[in-house]
Amino acid sequence: MARKAPFRRAWRDRLRHALGRAPAGAQHDPAALFTRFQAVLAGNNRALEAITDLGEKLGGDYLFDVNYTKAAYGELFAAISDALENFTILTNHAHPGLAEILARLDRQVQRILTEEVPESDPLLIFYPEITWDLAETVGGKNYHLALLGNELRLRTPPAFAVTTRAFDLFLAHNQLSERLQALADSRNQKTDLAGLREAIMAGAMPPELETELARAARRLAGRRGAKYLLAVRSSGEEEDGDFSFAGQFESILNVPATAAAIGAAWKQVVASLFSPGAASYQLQLGYDPGRLKMAVACVAMVKARVSGVIYTVAGSGQDDVVLINAAWGLGPAVVDGITDADLYLVKKDGVAIISETRIGRKELMVVGDGAAGIRTVPTPTADRGRPCLVDKQVLELTRLAMKIEKHFRSPQDIEWAIDDRGKIFILQSRALKVDEGEKPPDPENEGANDPDLPVLMDNQGVVVRHGITAGRIFHVRSPEDLEQVPRGAVLVARHDSPQYVRVIPFVNAIITDTGVATSHMASICREFAIPTVVNTGNATRLLPAGREVTLRADSDGTITVYAGVARELLREERRSSVKLRHLYEFRRQKYLMRYITPLHLVNPLEEEFTPAKCRSVHDLIRFMHEMAVQALVADANRQAGSLARRLFGRANTLRDLALPLPIRMLLIDIGGALVPDSGRKVTPEQLRSRPLRAILRGMLEPGSWSNETMPLTGRNFLAGMTRTADPGAISAGANLAVASADYVNLSLRFGYHFDVLDSYCTDQPRNNHIFFRFVGGAAALTSRSLRIHFMARVMSAYGFMTRTRGDLLVARISNLPAAEVEQLLTNLGRLIGCARQMDAALVSEAEAERLADEFLAGKTAGDFLFDKHGNR
Amino acid sequence: MKNNIMIIDDEKIVGDMAKLSLEQEGYEVETFLDGESALNRMEKKSFDVVITDLKMKGIDGLEVLRNVKHLYPDTVVIMITAFANLDVAIEAMRDDVQDFFPKPVKIKELKASIKKALEKKAG
Repeated sequence: MARKAPFRRAWRDRLRHALGRAPAGAQHDPAALFTRFQAVLAGNNRALEAITDLGEKLGGDYLFDVNYTKAAYGELFAAISDALENFTILTNHAHPGLAEILARLDRQVQRILTEEVPESDPLLIFYPEITWDLAETVGGKNYHLALLGNELRLRTPPAFAVTTRAFDLFLAHNQLSERLQALADSRNQKTDLAGLREAIMAGAMPPELETELARAARRLAGRRGAKYLLAVRSSGEEEDGDFSFAGQFESILNVPATAAAIGAAWKQVVASLFSPGAASYQLQLGYDPGRLKMAVACVAMVKARVSGVIYTVAGSGQDDVVLINAAWGLGPAVVDGITDADLYLVKKDGVAIISETRIGRKELMVVGDGAAGIRTVPTPTADRGRPCLVDKQVLELTRLAMKIEKHFRSPQDIEWAIDDRGKIFILQSRALKVDEGEKPPDPENEGANDPDLPVLMDNQGVVVRHGITAGRIFHVRSPEDLEQVPRGAVLVARHDSPQYVRVIPFVNAIITDTGVATSHMASICREFAIPTVVNTGNATRLLPAGREVTLRADSDGTITVYAGVARELLREERRSSVKLRHLYEFRRQKYLMRYITPLHLVNPLEEEFTPAKCRSVHDLIRFMHEMAVQALVADANRQAGSLARRLFGRANTLRDLALPLPIRMLLIDIGGALVPDSGRKVTPEQLRSRPLRAILRGMLEPGSWSNETMPLTGRNFLAGMTRTADPGAISAGANLAVASADYVNLSLRFGYHFDVLDSYCTDQPRNNHIFFRFVGGAAALTSRSLRIHFMARVMSAYGFMTRTRGDLLVARISNLPAAEVEQLLTNLGRLIGCARQMDAALVSEAEAERLADEFLAGKTAGDFLFDKHGNR
Repeated sequence: MKNNIMIIDDEKIVGDMAKLSLEQEGYEVETFLDGESALNRMEKKSFDVVITDLKMKGIDGLEVLRNVKHLYPDTVVIMITAFANLDVAIEAMRDDVQDFFPKPVKIKELKASIKKALEKKAG
């Protein structure tokens, strides 16, 4: 434990001290101001290095323990606190919200590190009050649904979350905490799960929880009382996160809004943590049973006429297609694979177009049965083959789905319902597991000739998870049959079911007669990479029990089942049953990174660029850097405008550095950066700053700056230049050089990435250094990382020490003669010019390396021939 | 026959991650959360390589090392620890320990160390 509470308190005290102190005019002394500015940058840089280190060590290439994580986070917290203290003074307390954001981030990180639910957490939270930092408090399902209502303003039913704190309280109240702890410690898989479920069901509700539930029920239901019905659903800590937990826990529908009924349903949901299926799933995800904490969602029932699921990426090579399944009545008809649902495929590029409609038979539907819950009934004959959506609804669902996908920046699996008045409600959204990131299909296998074996089933059904596998057919007709499933079997069943998760580690494939690619079981099969085919119609008839078969399900949707084992088709590589992401401890350490690394604040010209929108340490760094630059610029502006400055000289004032480049560069001379008597507008020829001249030499070299590729839009800093004389608006996003004769600190922002270059270049080699940091970018993370790969390779070749992680590159070099510093800075100038337009251009590591070598061999950005989209 | 490896660390994640990575290399791996259960197991079965944390409650890495060397002089021992600055301990163990890694341990280096030791052992 390198950093403990006293250490942290010391930092908080320093912060408080800094925040409470009235700045005694320090900001009017340019030298002091610049010292603060440098201190902010130094703190930021330390923090970014700590982030890089954490990312590197928690990324899977290192064995780490929690002591490391605690120590590394301690260093990060110290660095960012230091930056914030200096920033607060620099900006004269202009952004008081930042300290609160940092405190909130810290609270969440501590919670993950210690695995303790703070006693200050509420027992119950209504959705409108759920904020970005409460994912762990309310669980994944509550969190995502609440954000859809609060941030995207989508229609979601009225709802509240019963928190993990309520879970802890209930366990403590019923003396169950120790029992669960003992269970977790023993790691005994053959635990008395039934006994635990009974103990939970028999447990007494803590009075304060009962009071809260009663109050919440009244607030929701008003006078309707018990007639107001709720869906009470699980919302586990990790649920709908890296893993879906799809269908693993109980959902109780049509629960009357009374404390007693909600309490009983809540217990049922909590007890389902210990159902055999759920316990098996948890074990596969590396949980010791008894460790996972459960929050619960209480959501008003929608009187659903139609319900269904949307996948924003249809899969099977149709990445530009949205898939919608729909059935009459309530959602379980689709997600539990009860009926043969309608299928709508919609092309999402450009104007959405319905490209395919397959109307299901929909023989069954699920309906509400008042307070008695729900029941499955035959669909009225007239409705069976009839589409349950009209085109307009399909397109509206697609539009909503795209909005959600854009918000979460990843493909989504969305549950929805349309009520009897035609209103669309979003009921759930979680990350959709697609095959992305896995090896492309082996051409030798996928393209292999058909084996010389009888075909038992050909092109029937829907591929849920592709793969080639063999095994003996085992028919599952009832849940009891699951006990008998032998290892390596091909499970064949009439319907799909999330219950099958119990046997997923053992079976080689799953094939069902009915079912859809959007069911709970489908989600889980994808998570565990089990070749799976659903909706074959009659697999149970075509594939006799006991027969040895080979299933070939290709990613293009082709399906064949051969009699016998087609050895030539089977891949040599066996599926590894456990992967790194299946280790709970590994995920847990990584979860804290979501409060650290993501960058939400991108464009300082957008209204969203505020302290309130900072949701990670990275955002804080980004915000402070931008605002520190602006503070410096604003101060220089003030001085430029003051009478005294006009009378007594122009030192320290803000200049426009006119460059033959499509960027705006502001300059603050802190001593000897310019020839005497330079005006407000200066040219490169008037510069005397050795390091700045060297950088510009590189940037201005012919070909370094290919104008054809300007990926600059109205949203970037060029837009800022057209705005009026508000100093903040002018300097927002502008490039700033703070320079003296032998020093420069350059903040560059091109489009969506930003660089910092800091260098001393004196006759004393010991004092000289170059520090370079590059971060951000608007392209997909992969191509951004490739650009970092390109830059790191070039800079390493120049002799820099480089560290990279994702979209961040930090490079430094020191202790070298001035001539060498100048040469390196010139090279960096070229590199910056080249890299700024690389966002979308790179497709592979090999290409990044090849381009790096070409660059080192003297090629310029112009030689790489980017077109206006950044393509070559 | 597969080489077998024993990993002892009181933090579950270290053993889990090491097991996952080393099984991918074709080793058979067993993990233990304390020295005592590891030594019990060792009485019944020998291992080609023992990777142990130095600082553990109860039986620590040094005691594990002594026992391994007593029971199976040929078994390779690799020591890992959160504390890098333990020159004295390293010195004391130098003859008996194949390698000494401060945490976080780069998995690639650990694999290389195991490979080297097993090659040396095989002669």
